[in-house]
Amino acid sequence: MTYQKTKTLLKAENIGLSYGDKVILRNIDFEIHDIVRPDLCQGQVVSLIGRSGIGKTQLFKILAGMNKPTTGKVTIGDDMHEVREGEVGVVSQNYILFNHRSIRKNLEIALAHNNKNYTETDKKNIIKEYGDKFQLTEHLDKYPLQLSGGQRQRVSILQQALTSNSFILLDEPFSGLDALVIDKVVDLLIKVSTLDEMNTLIIVSHDIENALAISDTAFIMANQPNKVGATITEKLDLIDKGFAWNKDIKKEAKFQDMVNDMKFKI
Amino acid sequence: MKQLKTFFEPFGIISKGNMLALVFIQIVLALGLWQWLSGGLIPPPSKIIGKVLEIIKTGNFWDNFFASLMLTLKGMFIALFIALLVSYLSLVPFFRPLAKFVIKCRYLTLTGLIFAFTLLTSDGSQLKLSLLLFGIVPFFVTSLLSVIDGIDKQEFELCATLGMNKWRTLWEVVIVGRLDQVLEVMRQNFAISWMMITMVEGLSMSEGGLGTLLIKSNKYIDLTTVFAILLIIFLIGVFFDYILGALRFWLFPYTKIQLRDK
Repeated sequence: MTYQKTKTLLKAENIGLSYGDKVILRNIDFEIHDIVRPDLCQGQVVSLIGRSGIGKTQLFKILAGMNKPTTGKVTIGDDMHEVREGEVGVVSQNYILFNHRSIRKNLEIALAHNNKNYTETDKKNIIKEYGDKFQLTEHLDKYPLQLSGGQRQRVSILQQALTSNSFILLDEPFSGLDALVIDKVVDLLIKVSTLDEMNTLIIVSHDIENALAISDTAFIMANQPNKVGATITEKLDLIDKGFAWNKDIKKEAKFQDMVNDMKFKI
Repeated sequence: MKQLKTFFEPFGIISKGNMLALVFIQIVLALGLWQWLSGGLIPPPSKIIGKVLEIIKTGNFWDNFFASLMLTLKGMFIALFIALLVSYLSLVPFFRPLAKFVIKCRYLTLTGLIFAFTLLTSDGSQLKLSLLLFGIVPFFVTSLLSVIDGIDKQEFELCATLGMNKWRTLWEVVIVGRLDQVLEVMRQNFAISWMMITMVEGLSMSEGGLGTLLIKSNKYIDLTTVFAILLIIFLIGVFFDYILGALRFWLFPYTKIQLRDK
């Protein structure tokens, strides 16, 4: 498998978060690099895995620029500037959409705030194209409350993908979904990540198996003995291990061994 | 039998036809009970309905009815405009104290302020309108602020992730996104203004109105006419309530999706 890790796309440096005396996060350091594969449009899929209540959502908000960390900073872009709210797309766990607008309008809003100046015809064509790709064509004129959870999630992901944000953060994207739908979500996320070379999905999840199956890199978040606050305890290079970009990876015994191993580390 | 059980179960969902039948039966029962128990001063429903039919044939009634309706609609729209302005501005910190003060004005009694308003206004029409506005704006603002406070924080976060600035967020989430609820607030507060109109009309009787008719009938202890006017006021209120509700579903079809027994 030929690939190259090139420039840094996102860097989290010494992130710490405390509320009064309560330390939630400490010394979180990691980097996301652009992965280049010859003759392929390959985005990045990175997972932050940790058990429930460890502070994943807090880190999620810091990465999205919605919350300021107590210490450290998150930098992105060619000039590695500090992340600002709006530069990173967010797909929340309950797939928030504008309930007063049809799905088509929800997507149009995303395109309207895209930095490319699309004409009305361009917008129509893009929505048609992506509607087909994401199996949403028949739902475009419905309202969000008329869709199932899985459909709303697809709209939510597509909405963020259309804003031209290269980074999309997904909070627990596999939560509450059955196995069949999870496979569809995995396919969808792979599709989004390969839409553009710079597309980077950051999945925050406690679902070790599915998060690892889709990622090229994973960071394990956990508490360490005698230390307060969660931190990154392990980095898994899944390309190096031969587990990345393989649709059937969950069937492999070695992969399952790694998943089982991780269950004791979070 | 099973269907009958749902009539008495919490969260029981019954068909539209069954609901209509239920309403009809309860109205008939209530009227029957009233007819049977009435006597002395309280007139029976049959007499009141007869009086209603008599009143609505007179030109005097329609003049008074339109006077009340016009004043209510005028008051409602001006109140809505002021209330929306105060509520939307409440999201700008500088104007928040003003909004907080306006909602506290619900506890100010109108009766104590009549003299001040009489001095401040030039005629009876202005007096009635300003009393009506003073009476309903605080209730409007209270309801609108509760709609705004109930907005999920994640909706604002969604706007930020889509690159919207704060003014665009205000427009999308608070103004456009909650227009359906503004109409619902308007529907609920129409009842308050309709109720208040008879009171303020009683304070300045020069231009007539249903309130004036009521006070005159009360003065002569003509209770059949009083009850007949009350019934007309009630039915008009119910009619407008229905119209505003239907208008909400028509203008904002997504609101129907959110109903439990749509």
